[in-house]
Formats: sequence, C-alpha cells, structure tokens
Amino acid sequence: MNERLLLGRSIETGSWVHKLDARSKITGMLLYLAIILLSHSWAAMGLLAVFSVAVMLSTRIPLKYFIKSAKPLRFLMLFIFIVQMLSVKEGEAWLTLGSFSLYEGGLRLGAFSVIRMLFLVTFTSLLTFTTTPGKLNQGLEGILSPFKKLGLKPDRLTMMIGLALRFIPTILDESQIILKAQASRGADLKELPLKEKGRMLVSLLVPVITSAFRRAQDLVYSMEARGFRMDAPRTRYHRLRWGTADTLFVVMFIIMGVAVAVL
Amino acid sequence: MAIQLQQVSYTYADRSLWRQTALHDINLSIAQGSMVGIAGATGSGKSTLLQLFNGILKPSQGTVQVLDVTIQAGEKAPRLLPLRRRVGLVFQFPEQQMFEETVEKDLIFGPLNFGMSPEEAKARARQAMTDMGLDLELLERNPFRLSGGQMRKAAIASVLAMDPEIIVLDEPTATLDPLSRAELIGLLERLCREQGRTIIIVTHRMDELLPYADHWALLKEGGLMFQGSGLALAQDPDILERCGLSVPQSLRYWHAVARRFGLEGEQPCLTADSLAERIALLQAEGMRDSHE
Repeated sequence: MNERLLLGRSIETGSWVHKLDARSKITGMLLYLAIILLSHSWAAMGLLAVFSVAVMLSTRIPLKYFIKSAKPLRFLMLFIFIVQMLSVKEGEAWLTLGSFSLYEGGLRLGAFSVIRMLFLVTFTSLLTFTTTPGKLNQGLEGILSPFKKLGLKPDRLTMMIGLALRFIPTILDESQIILKAQASRGADLKELPLKEKGRMLVSLLVPVITSAFRRAQDLVYSMEARGFRMDAPRTRYHRLRWGTADTLFVVMFIIMGVAVAVL
Repeated sequence: MAIQLQQVSYTYADRSLWRQTALHDINLSIAQGSMVGIAGATGSGKSTLLQLFNGILKPSQGTVQVLDVTIQAGEKAPRLLPLRRRVGLVFQFPEQQMFEETVEKDLIFGPLNFGMSPEEAKARARQAMTDMGLDLELLERNPFRLSGGQMRKAAIASVLAMDPEIIVLDEPTATLDPLSRAELIGLLERLCREQGRTIIIVTHRMDELLPYADHWALLKEGGLMFQGSGLALAQDPDILERCGLSVPQSLRYWHAVARRFGLEGEQPCLTADSLAERIALLQAEGMRDSHE
C-alpha cells in the first residue's frame, strides 16, 4: 500500500513525444480512438499494431510499462472475447459440439474487440506517461477553450481536476497514518473477523473525511491569501506552444486514420 | 529490558522501483520504567523506528524484542493484538484520529477492542482522563468541541486508557502552546516516575525533554549515532551537531556557566530554576570564600 499508483504517473525520458504540446497529444489520442473504431480488417489491425508499437518505442519508455497499464483490464478483455465469440453467429462454423457451434465471425470479432481494447489502453497511457499532470491539465484547458462561447468554463474545470489530482497522494498518505493509528488502538483490519470490520471502517472514514474537509478549507484560505479569484484572468508560468512537430504529430494520426479506413 | 533491537533495518517498498531504506543496522535497548528521548533531523527515520515498537512495521532485517514478544525479520509475526495493548503508540497529531461523538466513547474504543468489559473500560477512561489532568466533565463532550490542547490530551488519554506498559509518542508537543507543552511533558514524567511506565518520546524540541529524560537516542540518516544518558550527552554536545541538530539552549547555558566557574564534572542543571539556584549557590560560596 506504500506504493503510489502507477496510473497517471509521468515517466521522464526527454523523448520527442515528451516535448510535444499537450494539446497535440490530446488531439492525437482522440484521433487514435477514431482510428481504432475504423479498423475492421486484419490488415488494418496489423498496420495499427506496427504504428502503435513504433510510437510507443519512440518515447524511450520501456514497453513493459505500457503493457502493465492494461493488466487490470485483463479479465474484462477475456469476458468480452468470450461473449463476442459465443453471441456472433457469422461466417462458417469451425467447430460444432452438439447444438452449439463456434463461428469464424465470432472468433474474429472477439479477437478484434480485445485487440482494440488492448491498444486503446496501452497507447493512451502514452499521454499520461509523457505529460506531467500540470501540463496535461493545461492542454485540456486549451482543447476546451472553444467551448467558452457555450458558457462552459474550462479554467474552472481544469482547476478542479488539477487540485483533485494534487491531493490524491496526500490523502492516501494521511489515510495510511490513520489506519496505523487505529491499528495501534486494537482496530487492525487485517486481524479482525469480517463482522467487526464494518465497525472499524467508521473509525477510519470519519477521521479521513474530517481531515479532507479541513484541508479543503485551508486550501481555500491559502489560495485567497495569494490573490486567487474565480474567473479572474491569470497569466501562465508555462505557455503552451504549438510547433511544427505538433502539426506533424497530428497529421500522422490523420494519415493513419485514412489508411486504416481504406484497408 | 522493555525494548531491544538487534541489527534492525527497515526498507520501504521492498522489491520495487521506489525502494528506500529508512533504517539500517540499529542496535538499541530501552530499560523498563525509563524515560527516553529520541531525536534526529527530519527524515532520519524516527517515525519509522517508533512503528517497529508495536509491530505496525515489521523489520526487514534483524530482531525486535518488545517485552516478551519477539518479531524477527522473515518470520511469521506472532499475534500482535496483545502486544499493541501493552505498547501504546501515539502518532503525530493524535487528535486527528478521534471519531466518536463523545470523548468517553473515543476513550473506550481501544480498551473494548482489546477485550475489556464496558464497565472496566469506562473506569480506565476516567483514570486516563485524571492522569492527563483533564476534567471528567469533558467525557460527555464532543471531541471536536474541545480546544486544541485538550483534544491532544484526550487523544493521548485514549491510548493511555488501554493501560499500556510502554507509551511511545511521536512529537506529542508539536503545535501546542508553551504552557500546554510543559504541562504535557510534566504529566508524562509523572506516568513514568509514579506508575513505572516506560515512556519514549520523539521530539524536535530537546530543550523541554532534556531535564527529564534518562536516556537519549540520536538518529542520523537511518543510523543510530548515539545512545546513552542525558549526562553523557551534556558532556559531549558536539554529537548533536554531527546529527544535524542544534544544541539546545539549556545545554548551551549550562556549558557556558560550567566553563566559566569550573563546574564541568557536575550533574548538569538543565532547567532555568535549577541553573539559577546553582548560580546563586556559587555566589554564596564566593562570598564565603572572600570572608575567609
């Protein structure tokens, strides 16, 4: 439990993908989603695989980290595969057992769903691996800024997301201490029978929640003390810069999309 | 010996990218019924050390022996619940762990977990309140309506209510006002001297504990730099600076006085009162000398 979540942790290697504008990376990921949905043949899947692995390798982050990010979803993938395999009855029957048969179409669609999911999860973790949460947030704000005309407030939204992300590790650490403190008072979750555990949970939740509220209150005061006003225009420490590399990055995805749609 | 550590090391997140050694090769023994201070710069492993004392953390290497329980690295730990009743561990800001709607309910939480009957637990709660110098009327109050100092004392009382033989406190006086700080240390000393409990205090303010502690342990970067009596520490204050700590004012005063008047061999006077008395005595001696 001492280990922080791998999810959302950026890994700095200084590759060309790391240096891209967060906006182009977010756009790229959205396009990638479309590409995945457009691939309907083995040839398209193959091309997608080559492209994805090539981009992942170019970040100089070991591939095993990408694969790890899909690991929590392995049972879901298996489930989807089985459901697709059993429910789709297209193409020729490959195997017949009594009244039940396995069809070529079922296997193919099952495999496609799993491959799509695998690529979607592993490839999009590229975004969080190569972008720090702060930059990601800023990029999101940039992407959402056209919606200002519709009354949406992207800066509020991203401020909220940024603060939430910032405090996840803090609150985890604090819960850890409370967990230990209550264990020292004889409420060790590991050593207790199940029916006692419910009662113990209260002894953890109340302190964690009160401290989260206290923290939020302190944060509001300290932000106001430093002149933060909601909706007031703010200057930025890091400016977003869209360069040639960013345009190339996005164009690369568009070409991939066209290629996949044709195949 | 109440607590004995033999070649103990502790590593956080063993077997991962972010592994970090917090303690290495610690040999420490703490006598029953003594008052012990533990000091060290930030990140020197003080809090990790404390958590070894009641089995919250298990050593990565070495042997931890607490009372009659032995926890050895790599071996399955014995049932720790009985040990945790006998070793009360008070974390930093203990008031943040209170959760019941009355102080009394919070105080009996521990004792009930350790299998005391409700009547016994309530009696223990009252005793703990008295020991901490709190008014029994507060028992019916909501803990969140107490003042900061009261809340801290009530939270310490909730550990005391378990009737532990060893009480381990992590910076109990942090964020308290000077008066409450002195009071709290005084109360803890009484628990040690009158009831024979072993008290272990991690502190950043060595000044307030120096006059009372029998024994000191100094940590630096996860290693034990010094262990010994307060007298030994007073004679060689340079060790403090080597541990990244500043020499407490009381010790500096005593040294200045001792150097000036040649009192180096004496038991150091580390409170303002005792030092004043010693100086007054010097004056009396001086007058007597000049008369002769």
